[in-house]
Amino acid sequence: MSVAPVAIAGMGCISAAGRNLPDSMKSLLRGERSPAPPVRFASDHPVRFPVFEAVDFEEPPDLLRTGAFALHAAREAVADAGLDRKTLGALRVGVCVGTTVGSVMSEETFCRGYLAGGDPDMAPFRRILRSNPADVIAREFGLSGPRQTVVTACSSSTDAVGIAGSWIRAGLCDAVIAGGADELGRITYIGFISLMITDDSPCRPFDKNRKGLNLGEGAAMLLLASEPALRRSGMRARSFLLGYGSAGDAYHLTAPRPDGAGLRSAISEALATGGVSPASVAFVNAHGTGTPDNDRVEGRVLQDMLPGVPFLSTKGYTGHTLGAAGAIEAVFTAACLEMGKIPASAGFETPDPDIGTLPVREVTTVPGSCALSETLAFGGNNSVVVLGRA
Amino acid sequence: MSGTGRIVIEGVGAVGGFGCGIADLSRALADGDVRPGSLALSPGSGPVEFAAFRADTSRLKEFVPARDLRRIDHFSRLALLGSHLALADAGLPESERHRLGVIVASGYGATGITYAFLKSFINDGDICASPTYFANSVHNSAAAHISILLGARGPSLTVSQFDLSVPSALLCVREWLLEGRVDRVLFGAVEELSDLIGYAWYRLRGASCSPMTPLWTEKETAIPAEGAAFFLFSRAEEARAGYCTLETAIVGSPANAGFPLPGSGLLLLGADGRRETGRRYAPLAENARIACYSPLYGSMPAGPAFDLAAAALILKGGRIFPSPGGASLDFPATVPAGGEPVGTDRISCLALADDGAFGLTTLGKLPDSQ
Amino acid sequence: MTTVEKLKRILVEDLNLEELTPGDIDENAPLFGEGLGLDSLDAVELIVIVQKRFGIEIRDMEEGKAAFRSVQALASYIEGRLSGG
Repeated sequence: MSVAPVAIAGMGCISAAGRNLPDSMKSLLRGERSPAPPVRFASDHPVRFPVFEAVDFEEPPDLLRTGAFALHAAREAVADAGLDRKTLGALRVGVCVGTTVGSVMSEETFCRGYLAGGDPDMAPFRRILRSNPADVIAREFGLSGPRQTVVTACSSSTDAVGIAGSWIRAGLCDAVIAGGADELGRITYIGFISLMITDDSPCRPFDKNRKGLNLGEGAAMLLLASEPALRRSGMRARSFLLGYGSAGDAYHLTAPRPDGAGLRSAISEALATGGVSPASVAFVNAHGTGTPDNDRVEGRVLQDMLPGVPFLSTKGYTGHTLGAAGAIEAVFTAACLEMGKIPASAGFETPDPDIGTLPVREVTTVPGSCALSETLAFGGNNSVVVLGRA
Repeated sequence: MSGTGRIVIEGVGAVGGFGCGIADLSRALADGDVRPGSLALSPGSGPVEFAAFRADTSRLKEFVPARDLRRIDHFSRLALLGSHLALADAGLPESERHRLGVIVASGYGATGITYAFLKSFINDGDICASPTYFANSVHNSAAAHISILLGARGPSLTVSQFDLSVPSALLCVREWLLEGRVDRVLFGAVEELSDLIGYAWYRLRGASCSPMTPLWTEKETAIPAEGAAFFLFSRAEEARAGYCTLETAIVGSPANAGFPLPGSGLLLLGADGRRETGRRYAPLAENARIACYSPLYGSMPAGPAFDLAAAALILKGGRIFPSPGGASLDFPATVPAGGEPVGTDRISCLALADDGAFGLTTLGKLPDSQ
Repeated sequence: MTTVEKLKRILVEDLNLEELTPGDIDENAPLFGEGLGLDSLDAVELIVIVQKRFGIEIRDMEEGKAAFRSVQALASYIEGRLSGG
């Protein structure tokens, strides 16, 4: 049942925690976070909810912010692998990217104009058509391999990374730029508030007094490559994608299955395909959004299936980056494995007896060789990747 | 995984401008003619009505009680109907659904409910945004509703890659089965022609005044459409009867050497009357026998899934359907009116994106023993 | 029209309870779980409905839970808030 590991030769990421991976990891290990009400857009909602915006990042006018995030992270990943457009061109390279906002066919100014009985400018719509994240990356690097944009809500980029691994093992291509991107905008902000799952203070994953999530934005990309491609191009493996599992709750559009059955199946499949036993897992990067439901279900499953394994949520540092979450957190997981330590689970103070376990409260040494990163999505999709040290 | 490594299509379900179900689709393919309905809008410049292929989901109540549909919008209803039709066509019992993967492809996603969500706060303020509309406006809502109503607890995937959504998703259909992750995959494509998409279409392309003639590639004749085409895929060892095999699924951009078009056999073109993509098909189809059935279901990113359904029906039935409108100067080797025996074991379906990327899916005839 | 009658009509319309008429709804039956069988997504939708139709803001689900016990409970809650309670 276990599958061949796939090398991860380069990584890049951008979020509120940092413009690139090294800066992000420094900031995480220092325990820094600065959620604040949004500055890039306004809302007439009476409550101001904190979010994690990548405030210094400006997208070019011809691209959606999501597409621009995707490009930024992809460039870092390719450079990290020691490649450029020319050397990448000698390989057959695919793209597999997760997103939510990046594929939505609506834009508020355009819709307001239409709704008001006008004939609004078509430029926003044309920008959407140009900004599919996989297309944007394929165009930038002149890639000739398969391309796919995964839109499984919050698990999109975990799925994208897992799928990319399967393409390489199946020999569909030599390498894949895999990851996810999502921007924070008014529509998303208003939508999550309407579901009453956002916290009006900085989020507190797994804490007894948690009230909900904070939204974030950003992107992360991983350059996955086959063994022959690694050798031919002089790349080195930073870490490995060992396994991937995914299963549905088949329960409810927004609430997770209370017994966590889908998550359990996904973890089992990930461990089995990774050829990894629970005892050898160094740590888990949990989904840990800070909502009462998610953290209760997820925490209990972790307690049951991986008792004693340290875990954390990094959403206390980045917010919930939706379609980018899986990739950002996979990249953090790989970086933590390299360093042999994980940051504190930001926002956590008081254990919740209803969960029965708690995340790490300080920077923790994790000497093991593999780790899990998991994401639970609307629609009941649960996806888990297992990463291993090089 | 032992076995032949062959993948089979066991069931097909489709709903669109041609009607609902395989019988309606077969009739449309045999007749070679489907009259489109229309879409009426009231933009700023004044009311318009133009040709559009609309799909009717009223048969969904044969499969799902009305009570379970109360919060489900048109996009997800199309997908649910396509799914149930495919499962019924395959005769898959409920007891065999637990190792069922669900994969949905859509170019535009749930634009109707997304627009309804925007209206809910544009009209009444941010605090009145509808959470139900928001929850349903995520792209994977159709796959979620399918999984929930079928009780399918295998993996679920939704893919959105505009014109290549279908061939891209097929990569995963194939790998999931060959890797043994699931026993069967319910795969389908769904597209909704919401007012929002219809309006954008009208602004970007104008209204079509003539029937679709995609093989006359210098003309703009696309008619916007909606619908759903779903398939039940399984490994050959586990399949009961079936339509055909899935031989290969390829997505990419032509590198230097051009790309692997089949030398002989039948090629179904995903040309759909849009001029900017239509003209890309001509240089590729020089040596192959051609058919193009998009005039029967219309222009939409999910279109290639209907081409797949047509190919499956041809391989099962043994006769090629006539290509609507016959041959053009660009495609002299088009299948003539009147149909003819297949004469080949393979049919390839080609979809092109406007930046030159392509998707090529090849289906094969089932061995006589199956 | 009483608040109870108004609410029954609103529930049928806004929650798309197509197979029911306002007269079918028992104002003392539970809204969630059994009775009308609404779920957590309907609960947050109901909060928006109350805001939109009556101008009353319910800040969190704790406040909502007590009010949403039944149509009658919700009507009493709304009347209480509207009269300055």
